[in-house]
Amino acid sequence: MENQEPVQKQPRVEPPKSTLPQPGRPVPSRAYPGALIVVEGTDGSGKSTQLYLLKRWLEIGGYRLHFTEWNSSPLVKSATRRGKQRRLLTPTTFSLLHAADFADRCERQIMPLLQGDYLVLADRYIYTAFARDAARGCPPRWLRNLYRFAPVPDITFYFRAPLDVAVNRILSGRPKLKYYEAGMDLGMSYDRAESFRLFQARILEEYDKMVDSDGFVVLDGTMPVNKLQKQMRDIVASKIDLKRFAPRAQESE
Amino acid sequence: MPDQEKDKTAPPAPVPDGQPAPPKALAAPVAEEASSQYFFGEPLVGFDPSEITGSLIVIEGMDGSGRSTQIALLQEWLESEGFAVQTSGLRRSNLVGRDIDELLAKNAVTRLTLALMYATDFFDQIEHRILPALRSGTVVLADRFIFTLIARGVVRGINRDYMSGLYAMALRPHLTFWLNVRPETAFGREFKKAQAISYWEAGRDMSLSHDLYWSFVRYQTMIKREFEVMAKRHNFIELDGEASVSAVNKQLRQRIAEQLGIRATKYTPSTALAHLWR
Repeated sequence: MENQEPVQKQPRVEPPKSTLPQPGRPVPSRAYPGALIVVEGTDGSGKSTQLYLLKRWLEIGGYRLHFTEWNSSPLVKSATRRGKQRRLLTPTTFSLLHAADFADRCERQIMPLLQGDYLVLADRYIYTAFARDAARGCPPRWLRNLYRFAPVPDITFYFRAPLDVAVNRILSGRPKLKYYEAGMDLGMSYDRAESFRLFQARILEEYDKMVDSDGFVVLDGTMPVNKLQKQMRDIVASKIDLKRFAPRAQESE
Repeated sequence: MPDQEKDKTAPPAPVPDGQPAPPKALAAPVAEEASSQYFFGEPLVGFDPSEITGSLIVIEGMDGSGRSTQIALLQEWLESEGFAVQTSGLRRSNLVGRDIDELLAKNAVTRLTLALMYATDFFDQIEHRILPALRSGTVVLADRFIFTLIARGVVRGINRDYMSGLYAMALRPHLTFWLNVRPETAFGREFKKAQAISYWEAGRDMSLSHDLYWSFVRYQTMIKREFEVMAKRHNFIELDGEASVSAVNKQLRQRIAEQLGIRATKYTPSTALAHLWR
């Protein structure tokens, strides 16, 4: 589907002055030698499976890579857990806490690794916040500002699956949906499954709005796993100069 | 100072009958929505500002400017005048207050993460402490507000627009006092308190100087400059924080009395607080 010429990134002779670009300004992908690939999509769209398979492919090939997951910073973990358990979170604080989590991973992992010429794979990225928090009612302009410090991905895969397909995948596989996961805080329904469906519908709508504005590469989440993975690998190989991330041993030869 | 009275930013607080009219609220320059009189930019999700019947009074100023002393005294005065008082301050949220303490102690946190944790702490208090109080007609005395948080971010190189955008959904205070002191004076006062100067008070993370005194003075001077920028834009009522506790308190009481429609501003602290009066 994507038959463009591979985008060759010129290796820069002199590295940018500071490791961390000024927070609060977007970081274009030209500002560092590494590359950033992210996957987005609603729960049950198949994105995590696909990113895992992409990661395995690259790992087996020996490429320099780092994998990072949404909402996984150890520094912010206890706060998030407490907030969720005691249901202290409002749309605003839910959003801010996730932004703090992202900022921590961004400043301590993602940016340094991109500067250090790594391939960074992210399972969910700022678009998750844009979709989910907007579905909770946060002002989009405020959200865009909140994540302005984030590096712009080289590729953003958007795994799109019809609402029913995605929702049924989750509902059939999980015994109980968590309170915030099901969007119970929005008070749309007393039934968790129904609340989840309504919440996911809103999120899907928000994702769809970003396809053009944020240059998502849309993939069909209902395709067979291996075929979808082939598409994904082809696109990665065509858009990113993977040789740059090949094992260092070969370089030093 | 009293000329700055016509506080452009104050929302029209509902005032009990027969009391002086509240300051008029002017729309902010970029105001497309009525909510801008209540918020700095964007409206807070799920909240109706017309429910506010209390007053939000902010005391800003650097470490050692006498904020907490003044707040303790103001609380007693207001309670003796029959007003319900709620206080707020940095790192006091149930959500992340303690987490920030831990982050600060470990010193493993980067500036942006810290700024966002403080923002979480701030909005948790807005939503769970300040707004409920304001809805029930309480006077909220805030020991610091977004201005300190913005200044701390900006002096650490975080984009100024980013920081103010972060706090776009913060409530506009009815009154914002700035207790202005020289960093040199503040240093002495802070040192006296704990017989030491903390890592963060001295801005040690910024590598300004290995000398603690100079690090403190340089850091607080940078913060002060940011305050000077914000003072005009946000109509701070600047008070000389180096004046005596009773003199500063008198000025505070006068302005707050006007705001709340209190006639008498006479006050002598109880024996419990007499030690603060000096």
